[in-house]
Amino acid sequence: MLDIESLTPREALGRALADLGDLRQDVVVLAADTGETTRAKFFAERHPGRFFNVGIAEQSLVGIAAGLAIAGFMPYALTFAAFMTRAWEQARNSVDRLALPVRLVGTHAGFADAYDGPSHQALEDIALFRVLPNFTVIAPADSCEVYKAVTASAALKGPVYIRVGRDFHIPTTCGLYDRFEVGRAYTVADGGDVAIFTTGAVLPFAVEAAQLLRDRGVSAAVVHFPTVKPLDYSAVEKYAASAGAVLTVEEHMVYGGFGSAVAEYLSQTRPTKMAIMGLKSYGRTAKSPQELYQYFGLTPENIAARAEELVKLR
Amino acid sequence: MERRASELEPLICKARKYVVLMAGYDPGIHLGSSLSVMEIVAALYGTGRVKFNVANGVHNRNYFVLSKGHAIHAVYALAAAMGYLTLDELRETGSLGSRLQNHPEVDTPFVDVANSGSLGQGISLAVGLALGLKIRGEKGRVYLVVGDGELDEGQSWESFAVAAHYGLTNLVTIVDLNGVQLDGHSEEVLRKGDLAGRFRSLGYEVFEVDGHDVGQIVSALERAENAGRPAVVIAKTVRGRGVAEIEDTAKQRLSRDDALRYAGNIC
Repeated sequence: MLDIESLTPREALGRALADLGDLRQDVVVLAADTGETTRAKFFAERHPGRFFNVGIAEQSLVGIAAGLAIAGFMPYALTFAAFMTRAWEQARNSVDRLALPVRLVGTHAGFADAYDGPSHQALEDIALFRVLPNFTVIAPADSCEVYKAVTASAALKGPVYIRVGRDFHIPTTCGLYDRFEVGRAYTVADGGDVAIFTTGAVLPFAVEAAQLLRDRGVSAAVVHFPTVKPLDYSAVEKYAASAGAVLTVEEHMVYGGFGSAVAEYLSQTRPTKMAIMGLKSYGRTAKSPQELYQYFGLTPENIAARAEELVKLR
Repeated sequence: MERRASELEPLICKARKYVVLMAGYDPGIHLGSSLSVMEIVAALYGTGRVKFNVANGVHNRNYFVLSKGHAIHAVYALAAAMGYLTLDELRETGSLGSRLQNHPEVDTPFVDVANSGSLGQGISLAVGLALGLKIRGEKGRVYLVVGDGELDEGQSWESFAVAAHYGLTNLVTIVDLNGVQLDGHSEEVLRKGDLAGRFRSLGYEVFEVDGHDVGQIVSALERAENAGRPAVVIAKTVRGRGVAEIEDTAKQRLSRDDALRYAGNIC
């Protein structure tokens, strides 16, 4: 059995791709001078004939990936999430309009690249890829989920955006399920007073928040949505109905992201008291992602406090 | 069917007539751009290098990518001249229900990359396609037609560098150097500098030809195909070629009456 839990998220990505390359001859991997830093090199070392470095050129990265898809391959294109969005129009016109099986993998997402500051911290990528009609958008929480989600993505017919961190993660999903199902939410804790929905690496903060809430007599469900699109509407519906209040948490702008996706659905089907937690400004250089979570208030304490406020509003 | 260059002239003339006719039917077409690229398109389709009647998914064939997707009417017109489209269908170009959309679309016939149109992107798509054919060991070539205006896009050079770096000898690029773009003459909008030198410095074999002499284009294609390294044919053309009113200008349109009158006088 692979010990994925001990890998960092980007190592899990490289490992998943290398293993996928063993299973499927049509998988090719591209990087934009990011073979080392995204760990695409794990694939390159095992499958050198199917790895291509296109240099520091994200628009070309996405366009060439699309061309390879037209030639019948399944390309995974890897670079920093912050720079993948530079090729958004290529993702729209060269990939999404033809619904090509191109997988764009944005690493160092959210605050994962604390050292390099706001230029390198993608907080808008979910919104940008979610708006493209054919894209599936996946934001795994930890290394185990990165490995399983990347593996599962190979079965999808259309384009996919996968959001991956760098080194920081708190293993939370490793024992949660065996097989990753795209489009499915996973319940981590049940509770009836408030439902906390998360996507990406902030899942463990919500789990800790639920424990804090339990100590204060509030029963909180924690539901993890590694797939932002297509959203698991039945899970949204179920927990909105049973708890009557929904708090979303994401390492992303509060505009157009995961919380917006939940709000778009609930406002049209089951208007529910909601709060959307995330960022409203750019990041900052720091010594670690944890420092940034503290600085910008994405903490278990704050999640618990917002949940309590929501419970009072019900 | 394969034709010699000298046999292409009547087809080119007929196709030019049809492009002008389409400009009369639909003011949305890019007349000047379609007229400048006509001999280039004819050199590819007319000699059988690429085909109008190829089924998708066929292996070991050649591919055609029109990165300057706005000139797609040159392809429609030539297809009609060679019997692959009817005049009735040309008349409907640019209509909601027509497959002859004004940029290559998913349902557009005859092109292998259906989503070109956003400038520079067809170049990356063609490079990715050529790379894919190469690693699968296929014999087919990719013929990529680009405009000179779209060479302003950084993405164009990003991908030309990749083709050179990976030695894509199965990619043949033809530049339609008509010297005019949306806002006017390229010399005024943004100077292209030594275009041949830019390609050569990346490692390309460069062939410079008169882009309205189909014989010159065909012979440059033959040399490009056997160059042993990525090759580019720079074809000097005149935008709006054959319609005096718009020649060498940024104008893309004629009035309906003018278009029909001009068309009547061609061939």
